Amino acid sequence: MKIMPCPLNGPRNISEFSCFGEVADMPEPTTADDAAWAEHVWYANNTAGVVREWWCHVPTSYWFIAERNTVTDEILRTYPASEVYNQRVEFAPKDGTA
Amino acid sequence: MATGAPQPTDHLRRSFVYRELLSAGAHFEGEGGAAIATHFGDPAGEEAAARRLGLADLSPLARVGFKGAGTAEWLAKQKVAVPPESNQAVTQDGGALAARLAPGEVLILGAIPGGALAGEDDLPARLAAAWAKAPIPPKTPRGFPVPRADTHAWFLLTGADSPAMFAKVCGVDLRPAKFAPGCIAQTSIARLNGTVIRDDKGRLPAYHLLADSASAAYLWGCLRDAMTEFGGAPIGLQAVRALVNST
Repeated sequence: MKIMPCPLNGPRNISEFSCFGEVADMPEPTTADDAAWAEHVWYANNTAGVVREWWCHVPTSYWFIAERNTVTDEILRTYPASEVYNQRVEFAPKDGTA
Repeated sequence: MATGAPQPTDHLRRSFVYRELLSAGAHFEGEGGAAIATHFGDPAGEEAAARRLGLADLSPLARVGFKGAGTAEWLAKQKVAVPPESNQAVTQDGGALAARLAPGEVLILGAIPGGALAGEDDLPARLAAAWAKAPIPPKTPRGFPVPRADTHAWFLLTGADSPAMFAKVCGVDLRPAKFAPGCIAQTSIARLNGTVIRDDKGRLPAYHLLADSASAAYLWGCLRDAMTEFGGAPIGLQAVRALVNST
């Protein structure tokens, strides 16, 4: 069994986890056009090499980030999402649409 | 069974596995608005089984969770000893157990009624009432209550062979040397998501097991099956009490 080191629960069987795809920064919500949103929501880079991915430990519903080499399938590092996302994002309404 | 003996169907609130308990020959007592299995016809035999490998259904007992920013701080203000680390549990003065499932999530398991530590402090009920009474909006974040009595079945596995039995249904090493008292594993048990908390009773390993209530009958069957080779047996509250009160 492949082992995933969970930042909350420690090393666990990979079957306890779900992968939710690469970590991609959200486009600027006030200025992004439809094409930029479509790119963000629907397209994956499918990088061969080291990627950052969202993973979830299902028994605890704990979401975190893993750095994984997609060529060798090695898990290099896992850490809480708060290491990357540590600021609140405000969604200011566009002028005239509030 | 004599007419007039307490039955699970006397109450609106029933254990998720009451049919399994009935077919195992359980005798019941009323506890907290539900019937809980007292014994299965052989109290002395169950006390011996509890030391070897016993499975008790504690689902009718009180439990509650709190979650969100400020949870640990608010609970500390309510005089709950909150473990400093995630996946650690601490026994409270009144016999209840506070289990920290995440930095911002704590599960409170009520005391075993009639157990040595059980005092007048009904911790789950006291906390739920205190939370409801606090002003809205709160002056400081205090999290939100997570009802656990209906979402999770609550089993207790006791005895020297319980770690060996767990090895058959759970990938995490729960042997006493690897999994100290007060440790918590949130993991897969018999392919169900569940929480295992080591809480030794009478110097013997014992584990609380909480898992999805809708799958409780399945889990009960899996555990009974896994226990067979060790001669494990279902035990009632009487045997659990005897174990809790022995030293």
